Amino acid sequence: MRGVYTVFRKELADHFSSYRFLILFALITMVSLIMVYMAGMGLREALEGAVKPKFVFLMLFTSTGALFSLSQFVAFFGPLIGLVIGFDAINRERSTGTLSKLVSQPIYRDAIINGKFLAGVATIAIMLTSIALMISGLGILILGVVPGIDEILRVVFYLLISLFYISFWLGVAILFSVLFRSIATSALASVALWIFFSFFVTLGANVLANALVPMEKDATTVEQVIKHVRTQKALSLLSPMVLYTDSTSVIIDPMKKSTRSLMLVGPLEELSLSRFQNPLPLSQSLLVVFPYIAVLVAITLVCFGITYAVFMLQEIRAL
Amino acid sequence: MIWLRRRPSRCPFLVLILIGMLFLIASSYPSIASEEEEKKDERPPRAMSIHPEYPGVVVPKGEDVRMDLIVVNGGRSDEEVLLKVTEVPKGWKAKVKTYSFTITGVYVPDGETKTVTFQAEPGKEVGPGTYTFKILGETRDKAFRSEASVVVEVKAKEEEKEEEDIVLTTSYPVLRGPSDAKFEFSIEVENKMDKDKVFNLTARGPANWEINFKPAYEDKYVSSLRLKSGQSRSMAVEVKPPRFAKSGEYPIDITVSSGEKKAKATLKVILTGTYKIEAGTPSGLLSLSTQPGKTASISLYVKNTGSATQRDITFLSFKPENWKVEFKPERLDVLESGEIKQVEVLITPAEQALVGDYSVGVNVKGEKANDDVEFRVTVKASTVWGWIGIGIILFVIAGLCALFIILGRR
Repeated sequence: MRGVYTVFRKELADHFSSYRFLILFALITMVSLIMVYMAGMGLREALEGAVKPKFVFLMLFTSTGALFSLSQFVAFFGPLIGLVIGFDAINRERSTGTLSKLVSQPIYRDAIINGKFLAGVATIAIMLTSIALMISGLGILILGVVPGIDEILRVVFYLLISLFYISFWLGVAILFSVLFRSIATSALASVALWIFFSFFVTLGANVLANALVPMEKDATTVEQVIKHVRTQKALSLLSPMVLYTDSTSVIIDPMKKSTRSLMLVGPLEELSLSRFQNPLPLSQSLLVVFPYIAVLVAITLVCFGITYAVFMLQEIRAL
Repeated sequence: MIWLRRRPSRCPFLVLILIGMLFLIASSYPSIASEEEEKKDERPPRAMSIHPEYPGVVVPKGEDVRMDLIVVNGGRSDEEVLLKVTEVPKGWKAKVKTYSFTITGVYVPDGETKTVTFQAEPGKEVGPGTYTFKILGETRDKAFRSEASVVVEVKAKEEEKEEEDIVLTTSYPVLRGPSDAKFEFSIEVENKMDKDKVFNLTARGPANWEINFKPAYEDKYVSSLRLKSGQSRSMAVEVKPPRFAKSGEYPIDITVSSGEKKAKATLKVILTGTYKIEAGTPSGLLSLSTQPGKTASISLYVKNTGSATQRDITFLSFKPENWKVEFKPERLDVLESGEIKQVEVLITPAEQALVGDYSVGVNVKGEKANDDVEFRVTVKASTVWGWIGIGIILFVIAGLCALFIILGRR
């Protein structure tokens, strides 16, 4: 454990002193602050004269100001943080020849990989928390709304899920840096995978759904549309990004009751639902998306497990 | 009647003028008068007769009879005629009078006629029938006498007679309804007297009943009204039974009076009992929570708070599509007044129900009464997937730990 801690501390120090991290952090902070500022201004205008709207604070994260909301931004570009931090974790050590030196030190080999991963996770956690705190501060300043305990808890869960999501991409990047000796290859491979999962899976799901459940233009029944949408949804769930956006959208929006984008709601059901328009308690929101969160956590852990196994079984000195 | 009454007041006046004129003529032209006297010598020296104006009259019961009695002096000398009512039927009082005195005789100059009044007043006990009055007139020296008879036929008092003064009509004298209803009768009061009058309105009903008069289409209570001669006005009688009045028939007497004149009408309210049903839960809790596809039950009580027995109470539910709401039992056959019965309500949300609060309405439908109960059904997410997720994570962590143990410390 001491070995893990040593590697962790050294790695953390490296991260925080690197220009790469500073540039990345400055970029993300700037973009998020601008976005939240615009969202806040938009909200303030929209809420002018409204009678005590609920969960205004959480709207900072979900309302689309200029282009897209903060949660959408994190869903698309959050993985980049993980990739940038992790794509050269092992192979840089290898190419500069420091890995064999490190292994020759009185620390176990698993301490290196664990320490590197944990340092990456810690960096991401610090980044996310600081950004969230800044956004909250700005939000309070712009809107003059102090978040309640429920809202704070929801933001905390949102951060935790984001942490796992970005950590998954960190694990992928570290895996590639273990697998490929060249830094450029591992960087390209991880970016390619990110693009594939973030953009092509959703597109591919659409195409596949069209093939599996074809929709005639003139004669589409409600059942057919529902089936089509369900197929597309099931296929797109292969993407971690969809898992992430679905779970966080429910967590961050208490009025959202399902991850489904299209639902069959009868007129009586609608009437019955509209009678009590209560926000869901946090526990219910969590339960609704718990399978998503579990899968997200599981793939992150599995990804790290594979990285760990590959690294442990690799021959280091022969390289 | 009116004509009869008016007559005596005018006639003596005319007679006086006539006499006055004759006197003037006689005094200013004595020669002409003597000439005239001589011309009239064809008349008998003395002649006298009396005639009632109407030998036979018909009057309603209780009315006085008045008429002129004409005393004719057909002779050439002045006469003093003594008048006497010789035959008066039992119970009657009859007399001969002028406008100011009761008289026993009258002075009639020659060739003149005098009009006096015959008046008969019936006593209270006088019933319908035919009554004959005889009046005897004779000169002071009893040389001439004349007898006249007046036949009075008394008829039973007709009701129309009373209504000639105040007419009270009701179009719907009987109303029917539950005891918590308000009854409104419409009555019409007409003033048939030839004077403007203020009419007092009074009502007598069962104890604790609220009876009020109001003008039609106005919302204020009145106890009297003023009507011009010949005018009529419709009034509303608002009747409110006490809350817990038993079913039955209740008469209400309405009296419209002005001085001694009055008109009466009887209204009737038939109470059928109240129909009221109350439904709720014993604890007052109207919310329950369940999971999609899982049945939740809540017990509902149904109470008959009306005074009538309810039969065949059924239940209706207002629910989202694909939900199931069942009642055990499905219907209540009889529910006596004040009785409470319990019904189990089983609510099963659809499998696809969303997480959140749904409204499920239950309508308890009885005879002429129903009650709504709204339940708030909170559908909670199934925890099964939560446990499976936790299982997956634990499994993965266990795998990771195994990996650490197998590959670690190298």
